[in-house]
Amino acid sequence: MLTTIRAAACAALAALPLLAQPVMAQDKVLKFATPQDFTVVYTFVTAEYNQGYRDYITLINERGGLGGIKIDVLVSDHGNAIQRGMEAFERSTRDGAILVDPLSTPVSRALVTRALQDKVNLITTMSGRSDAADGTVFPYVLPMSPSYWSQVARMVDYIRQEEKDLKGKKLAYVYIDTPFGRESLPLWEALAKKDGFELQTYPYAPPGNEQSAVWTQVRRFRPDWVFIGGGGVGQPVSIKEAIRNGIRVDRIASWVWLSESDMDVVGRAEAKGVLKFAVTEQGADSKVIKDIIAEVVDKGKGAGPKDKVGTSYYNVGVMAAALAAEGARKALEKNPTGPFTGEWLNAGLTSISKFDLGGFLPPITITPEDHQGGGQGKVARWDGVKWVAVTGWGAANQDIIWEMIRKQAAEFKATGK
Amino acid sequence: MDLALFGELIINGALVGLMYALAALGIVLVYRTSGLANLAQGAIAMLGGYLGWITIAWLGLHPILGALVAMVVMFAIGLGIERTTLRPLIGQPVIMIIMVTIGLEILMRGLVPGLLGSGVKRLDLGISDAPLFLGDMLINRTYLVSAGIALIIILATLALFNSRIGIMLRAVSDDQTASWSVGIRVEWAIAFAWGLAAVTGTAAGILWGGSQGVDWTLSLLLIKALAIAILGGLDSIVGVVVAGLIVGVAEAIASGLFDPLVGGGTRDIVACVIILATLLVKPEGLFGREHIERV
Amino acid sequence: MFYRQAGIRYTSYPAERQLWPLGIERVLMGLILALALIAPALLSPLLLSSYLLPWVIWSIAALGLNLLMGGAGQIHLGYAAVMAIGAYSATHAARAGLPFELSLLVAGLASAVIGVIFGAAALRIRGLYLAIATLAMQYIVDFAIGHIPAISGGTQATVATPTPRILGIPVEGPVGGYYIALVVCIVVTLFMLNLRRTSFGRALAAIREKDYAAEILGISAFRYKLMAFWTSSFIGGVAGAILVFCYYRSVSPEQFHLETSVQLVAMVIVGGLGSVLGTFLGAALILLAPLALSALVASLASSGLPIGSDLRAHLPLVLYGALIVGFLIAEPLGLAKLYDNARKYLLVWPFRHARS
Repeated sequence: MLTTIRAAACAALAALPLLAQPVMAQDKVLKFATPQDFTVVYTFVTAEYNQGYRDYITLINERGGLGGIKIDVLVSDHGNAIQRGMEAFERSTRDGAILVDPLSTPVSRALVTRALQDKVNLITTMSGRSDAADGTVFPYVLPMSPSYWSQVARMVDYIRQEEKDLKGKKLAYVYIDTPFGRESLPLWEALAKKDGFELQTYPYAPPGNEQSAVWTQVRRFRPDWVFIGGGGVGQPVSIKEAIRNGIRVDRIASWVWLSESDMDVVGRAEAKGVLKFAVTEQGADSKVIKDIIAEVVDKGKGAGPKDKVGTSYYNVGVMAAALAAEGARKALEKNPTGPFTGEWLNAGLTSISKFDLGGFLPPITITPEDHQGGGQGKVARWDGVKWVAVTGWGAANQDIIWEMIRKQAAEFKATGK
Repeated sequence: MDLALFGELIINGALVGLMYALAALGIVLVYRTSGLANLAQGAIAMLGGYLGWITIAWLGLHPILGALVAMVVMFAIGLGIERTTLRPLIGQPVIMIIMVTIGLEILMRGLVPGLLGSGVKRLDLGISDAPLFLGDMLINRTYLVSAGIALIIILATLALFNSRIGIMLRAVSDDQTASWSVGIRVEWAIAFAWGLAAVTGTAAGILWGGSQGVDWTLSLLLIKALAIAILGGLDSIVGVVVAGLIVGVAEAIASGLFDPLVGGGTRDIVACVIILATLLVKPEGLFGREHIERV
Repeated sequence: MFYRQAGIRYTSYPAERQLWPLGIERVLMGLILALALIAPALLSPLLLSSYLLPWVIWSIAALGLNLLMGGAGQIHLGYAAVMAIGAYSATHAARAGLPFELSLLVAGLASAVIGVIFGAAALRIRGLYLAIATLAMQYIVDFAIGHIPAISGGTQATVATPTPRILGIPVEGPVGGYYIALVVCIVVTLFMLNLRRTSFGRALAAIREKDYAAEILGISAFRYKLMAFWTSSFIGGVAGAILVFCYYRSVSPEQFHLETSVQLVAMVIVGGLGSVLGTFLGAALILLAPLALSALVASLASSGLPIGSDLRAHLPLVLYGALIVGFLIAEPLGLAKLYDNARKYLLVWPFRHARS
């Protein structure tokens, strides 16, 4: 009996917070929700991304907010589970959140219909569907960052410049076998046709902790360049296997999902030369990161360990927060009195114009039609210690990409797929 | 399909299979002694990998020394797991045991990365990444060394089962009541098996951590381990080695042959098909004793 | 005190076999039903759409699984795959223009047919072996769904579900979805409650206890095991369809992975094997406790409690695991047993002991 009473008490305790009333929303606070995946698939990025996000918002708030209005970031974990992502979406919008950033491709895909119905701004920086760049079909879904298509196109363009001509060259695309990895296959085919290179694609089973059989085949293909398209644990394994299979390190390229800690796993010196797409300035030398260190982190208000400040994914988090805050500032300019709803913020977000955060970002312009913001980025190279940009801001092949975006968006509109 | 590609797939697949087999060993050890399902072996390997990271990367011990320290700690943890969660459930239906080990798996998957950090951690075992060529075939050096260590550990376990302790463990697995009546401490034997499972799991976690980095995905070794344990027979240590080789080679060849055809990663499915085929054709596995009640 | 047995007597056999012999339990049932019916008016949209609606839907699924695990004693670690089959077949049927009601039926039938194939394994193996076999099937179904674009919906791998229409009238929003789910839930609950009074239910119980013995008694283990898988998979398929139509509003492979299967088994076990009431309680606890905990932790953290963000994010997972382990050790019979204890205590109150 005692044990059952104990169990009952546990059950009752667990149910308690359900009854607790939510804190009433105070006036003059904007709420941004970041229910993200801290525990399951996106563990490699979420902690740093979220830290950067919150630190930047703290910086804004420390400086007095946006004309006196502070921003509150609601953090929770959805574990990449759609169920919990939806619950977090509903709960945070009920609590007054007008912007939700789930940082998970499956969750954001599942939330698209809800966001469109409820008129809440769904931010899909570095996640979610690429065709959401079409603002006419997805008015409330805002990637505000180069889609994977744009990243691939930019990297291939860089390779083309390096090689002068890609005709007859061999490129291998080694990717994680999930919708996320498969999404860019049509673009690869389009690019292969346009630039005339020979393309082979190699899927590996998720999460990619063992890829030796795949790379055995890649080596047989003798590619001139290899593009690895994964995220998390699969990325360093890919690089290790590539090196082992005799592929030159400086012929390995990837999209944004390569960070300092991935390089640690490969071995910092061994990975020297790897290329990646960078959406922000790298490292902690930019003005905004220095400001954050001086005004937030050193005052003990940082959201995480100091040694993570300025890492690749931290900077992406800063970018997402800066764009959201800039959108809010624009919205205040347009309509200073509110009411502060998702619709109000959307008007601001879609009028962001040439915003570059002091050179930290490429100039980003979001319009009601174009939610991608230009698709620009730099190519960065790992020099054994840090990522170093080897090009300026730029985008490539946006015409092909927009053709694909419009095609898929129209399909979504017609069929709901 | 050239011969070198084929040979390379087979050799590397076999090496990987031996590394999987080490993870499967824990399942076999527990089942063999106590007849209990151990679906927490993936998380045990993960915990072992994290402990190895603590001793080797953090405390800076020599990899072998660090691994030994981690194994000793994990032996104690294995005993603790048995004492606190498995023993109270003696006599409950199988589903309860299955579920409690799944619960343990979830618990550890939350607790360990929660406390030690969820990012991928580098675990350097001092094995060089430089390619090793055998004719035209490239052998993965990390896998070669790891598979060698795995084989040594599995053979050592086999030797242990032929020693006095092993005879005791085998007696317990044959008939618990009879063992009791001749003075064998059955609880102790079962706890020892869990400790041993934790030790072999740690070895698997550290070796895999060395090749992929340490994070929670180490716990996904479970499905491969299950496939090997089922194919080899849940109570056969020799079976683990043979089944490990078969599963590893089958996976490598499948991803070499079928991936380009279906345009997808077929590796995980191979393990599942092997499980199903074994269970439907020869449920006791290749080397298992045929004592399964057929329905 | 309230659980009075005095004055209860039967004048006919059907009366003696009624579901709730005690007056108070009939009153309670009526009350719960009434509350469930007017819930949309009482609860805020958040509570309705994020807690009550998923609870009702997951309860349907867990009831279906409990029929198999508690009723027939078969282990199933691939139930989410069965639900996925229902969800996808209903979605594609409805998108092809079939009415919603028929799509539900299609979902149930498709799941039942494939579920029986799962069940075929149970004819040959049991216990741990069956658990692992169903686990393997879960992975195979996952793979098939993910790799056949015609099913998963192409590059984006998400298919939006059409708005459900009941007799041609569109049912929109969480309230409409809630009533659809509630009606299905009531039907399934009544079926489960009555199951043990049918020959089918008794045959399943006989097989659960010992299939050899059942066979000797003239109960065909072959037939009834397959029937158990058929029925349970039918319910699972319908539950999967309801889940995507009324709650998720779109269907993607990630919704039905192994974690979902484990979650369902956890609901059944924490609730109590074979208990209808327990299934509801188990679904509530497993579903809502991690949600509630992450809300609690978030509010604690914003009020300045110093816990690392890694640990904070992992706490719901820890709690979920701890709930499963803790319940199995402390009360293997689950939450249903807790209610049973209270009921037995109240039956003889104010005395402490009596013949139960």
